[in-house]
Order: sequence, then C-alpha cells, then structure tokens
Amino acid sequence: MKESVFSAIALYVQSVFRGAWSIAGSCKTALPYLIRWGDLKKEVTEGYPDPISSKTADDLPTRSRGLLFNDIDRCTGCRECETACPSRCIRVESEPGSDQAKVWVSVFDIDFSRCIFCGLCVEACQPGSLVHTKQYEGAAYAVPDLVASFGRGQITEEHRNKWAMMRKLGESDGVAP
Amino acid sequence: MMTSENSWIVAWSNSLGFPEALPQWLYAVVALVSVFVFVVVPSGGLMSYLERKLAADLQARVGPNRTGPAGLLQPIADLFKLLQKESRVDWSWKENLWLSVHTMALYSTLAVLPLGSMAVLVNTEMSVFLPFWSALVLALGTMLLGLSQNSVPGWFGGIRVAAQTLAGSFPALISLLCTGVRSGSFRWSALAESQGFSPWEWTVFANPFQMVAFSVFVMSGLVLLAIPPLDGGLSMSDIHGGVSSHLYGRRLSLFQFGRFYGFFFWSVITVVLFLGAWDLPAQVTVSLKAGGANQVLALLELIWLLLKTFGLMLLIVWVAKVNSRSRVDQITDFTWKVLSPFSLFALVGASLWAGWRAI
Ligand code: SF4
Ligand code: SF4
Repeated sequence: MKESVFSAIALYVQSVFRGAWSIAGSCKTALPYLIRWGDLKKEVTEGYPDPISSKTADDLPTRSRGLLFNDIDRCTGCRECETACPSRCIRVESEPGSDQAKVWVSVFDIDFSRCIFCGLCVEACQPGSLVHTKQYEGAAYAVPDLVASFGRGQITEEHRNKWAMMRKLGESDGVAP
Repeated sequence: MMTSENSWIVAWSNSLGFPEALPQWLYAVVALVSVFVFVVVPSGGLMSYLERKLAADLQARVGPNRTGPAGLLQPIADLFKLLQKESRVDWSWKENLWLSVHTMALYSTLAVLPLGSMAVLVNTEMSVFLPFWSALVLALGTMLLGLSQNSVPGWFGGIRVAAQTLAGSFPALISLLCTGVRSGSFRWSALAESQGFSPWEWTVFANPFQMVAFSVFVMSGLVLLAIPPLDGGLSMSDIHGGVSSHLYGRRLSLFQFGRFYGFFFWSVITVVLFLGAWDLPAQVTVSLKAGGANQVLALLELIWLLLKTFGLMLLIVWVAKVNSRSRVDQITDFTWKVLSPFSLFALVGASLWAGWRAI
C-alpha cells in the first residue's frame, strides 16, 4: 500500500500521543506511593539501625549478611571458601598441626576492602565455621585495617615443644578437630 | 537601567533608613544581590529538600531524615560538606575561565528575573528574549568548559550540551511568541496584566493552542538547560555526568547550584508567561495599593509567584523521577521532530485565534 501524506501524519500524531500516554501512565503508577494509598503505604527501604531510627542490629533481617566471622576452632582449613570467593579476598594457609590428622590454620585473612558480602563462602563452608555476623559497621581509616585475621598464627618452636609434651602425656592438645 | 516606577529596591532601602538618592549602580547591585540571597538561594534549599522527599515517596524510599526534624537541615549539611571537600590539583586556568563565563551568563539573567509587578528590574519589549541570549552564552561556556577539560566525558558532555541547547532554543522561542500574540507585548508587566488571578484567566487555558505552546515551552526549556528528565547532555550512566564529571567540591556546588538556578529561572518565566504571573485578585491589589501598603503587596505577589513556581517544578520532578532517562539522541530527535512542529502549529493557531478575536 502506498503511504499517503495523511496516513503519515496520522501515524506521527498517534506516536506522539502514545509517548505522552506512556509518560502519564508511569506518573499514575507512582502516585499511590506518594499519597500512601492502600497497601502501598509502607516504605520498602529499612531505616539504618542506629539511635535515630531506634533500630538495633537485632532488628536486621535474619539472613542479613554482615561482617564475616570465622570460628577458627571449627575451621578445617579446607579452603573451600577461598575457592568459592568471587572477589578472591580470603587467604587461607594451613599446615599439619600437632599430628598428621590435624590441621593448623595459621592464616585466615578476609580482606573486607574487596569483599562484596555475597555469602558464597559461608555457603561453601561445610563445618559451618564461617558465618555472617550482624555487625554492619566496619569503616576504618586505612585500607590495610580492613583485613580481618582469624588465623592462629605461624607454628612456632614453642608450639611444637608443647605438643610433643602433651603427646607424651597422652592428653588432648586442644587443637580441633 | 532602572526607571523610577519599578525601582522597588529604592523604596525598600529608603524604608530601611538608608539615605535617599544613592547612585543608580549601587541600587542595581543591591537589587541583584538581594534577589539572589533572599529569593534564589532559599528556594534552592527548599526545592532540593522537597525534590528529594518527593522522589523518595514516589519510589517507596524514606529520603533524608537525619539532619534536623524530618531531614529539614539536609540542604545546609550538603552545602557545608561540598564546601569543605578538597578539589583536584590539576585544574587548568582554562577551566576556571569557562566556568566563570558559564556562571556569569547564568546569573546575568537575574537582571531580567520578573518577581512581581514592583520587582522587575529590566522591563522592556526585549526582556523576555534576554534569557535566550544568556542560554546561548551559557551553552557556549559549558561546551568550552567541557572541551578544556581534556577528558572524554568533558568533550562528549560539552558537545551534547551544545546540541541540546541548539535544539531546544528553537521551539522555546516559537512557543514564547505565542504568549506575545495573546498579550500584544513582550513586557513582563504587559504579560502579567493580560492574565489574572483565577486559572481561567491564565494564558495557558486561554485556548488549546496556548496549551500546546505551554507544554512545548516547558519541555524545550528542559532540553535547553539539560534539566532532568531531559538531561542527556549531562547523563550519569554513559558519560559520568559529562561536563560536571571534572568538577569537585566548591566548583561542583557552583555548577550544580547553577543547574538548579536554570531550572528555577525557567519555571519562573513559565509561570509569568503562561500561569497567571504574580496576579492577585483584583480587589486585593487595588485595596493594598490604595492603602499605600506597596511592600506588603510586593511580598504577597512574590509568595504567590513562588508557590506556583514550586508547584510547576515539583510536577516536573514527578515526571522526571518515575520515567526512565532519555538518551541524548532521543532528546534532540524529539525536540527537532516533535517539539518544533508542535510549536509552529501552536503559533499559527494562536495567531489565528487572536486575529479571529480581534475581528
Ligand atoms: S562474602 Fe563473598 S566476597 Fe566476601 S569473602 Fe565471602 S565469598 Fe568472598
Ligand atoms: S572457613 Fe570453612 S570453608 Fe573456609 S577453610 Fe575453614 S572450614 Fe573450609
């Protein structure tokens, strides 16, 4: 069909009105939120927990992902979290502990300056030693201060002597697991 | 520059006990500074607060609620934060130059800002057109500021701002002519006198063509000055704010406040042209004038004008906050292909209407 001038003009006017209609539509959609009408009266954002909003860390949602904490006694040093972390901010170093079956996690550093709090490390952790706390204020004055260290530190001669002593006495060395 | 009939500042300064007959230029300076300090700056603070609260409500958020009751002191806190921010070191003299050109072009429009029947500094047949010259110088200043920044966002932002201004000034000018067709003059006072207090006396509701002219004028102003929702020239997502991407601290606050001022100025002249200006009910004006309470009248007019201005601005904010931003090419496309033909249509229609009424 050959396009006539009139149909072209009609199409043009139609498209202009369609545009105006869609703008008006989105304005109308947002209106109930403005006048807090019906069940749209609740704000979706949560107030920041502090004295002004009179909320505390306990009011945070149960699954909120705060700063990470590693219960080093339960950590097996398996490095699953290190592998799972998409931003590569966990560093685990472990060495044989008091005997071959036991692992001494000497370094467990989480660099919060790079952590995106995705929670993948927590999901990967089989023993459940790595958890999200409800702590949410981790600001620091220098970037290096943002590294949280949970490791036990390098094994020293002192440790070895102690363990040897304990093995002799047949006692538990207290290093789990 | 000032004539005796509209030298409102003379009356104010005499009533405050200053000696009579100070030099004219002093009055002019005092007038400009006091308009800026007592009208524009408080409006800026108020509007930035209202805009953020309104946007928050529309988007089901909370908005500012920390500084002062219900976050009322937020604008002041923002100001102090921006003032104490450190600026970048590699700032060239060219950028300073163009930022000052930009700023001077912007605030030169203070001289033609109509704020009431007794608060118009420049009231000639040309006053309505002066903002357009300023807008072009403003665009030039912004473009060269962007080009002198030696950065990709600066270059693209500068060119985009110029493209938007060129596109927007044509329909704005044409739809401006429509108001002159109705009032028969481009003096601010004549434009105000041709309208009245009640909405059906406003130019915008005079006939359908004026309605179209009004919509085109508002939208082309947003394009011309790159104000949201039509701010593709300074968009954040693809060119990091364009020209403003290189500005920090004080310079950024200067620039951002300038953008607010442009928005405010455009809304004020829209209200004067289309939405009944500062017209109060006729009895009120007459009785106040008869009682010699000229300053009360001036204040009432100012408040009424500003109320309508804020209403218009909030309406635009509403549209801006619930719609997606347009790309710069969509904006210029829309301006050339939709706003310009519609403005011509409105001009022809309004002229025919005026001619038919005159017969
Ligand atoms: S929360 Fe995500 S980013 Fe942070 S340490 Fe765990 S896996 Fe890495
Ligand atoms: S925190 Fe969990 S996943 Fe990471 S090394 Fe320890 S046990 Fe393995």
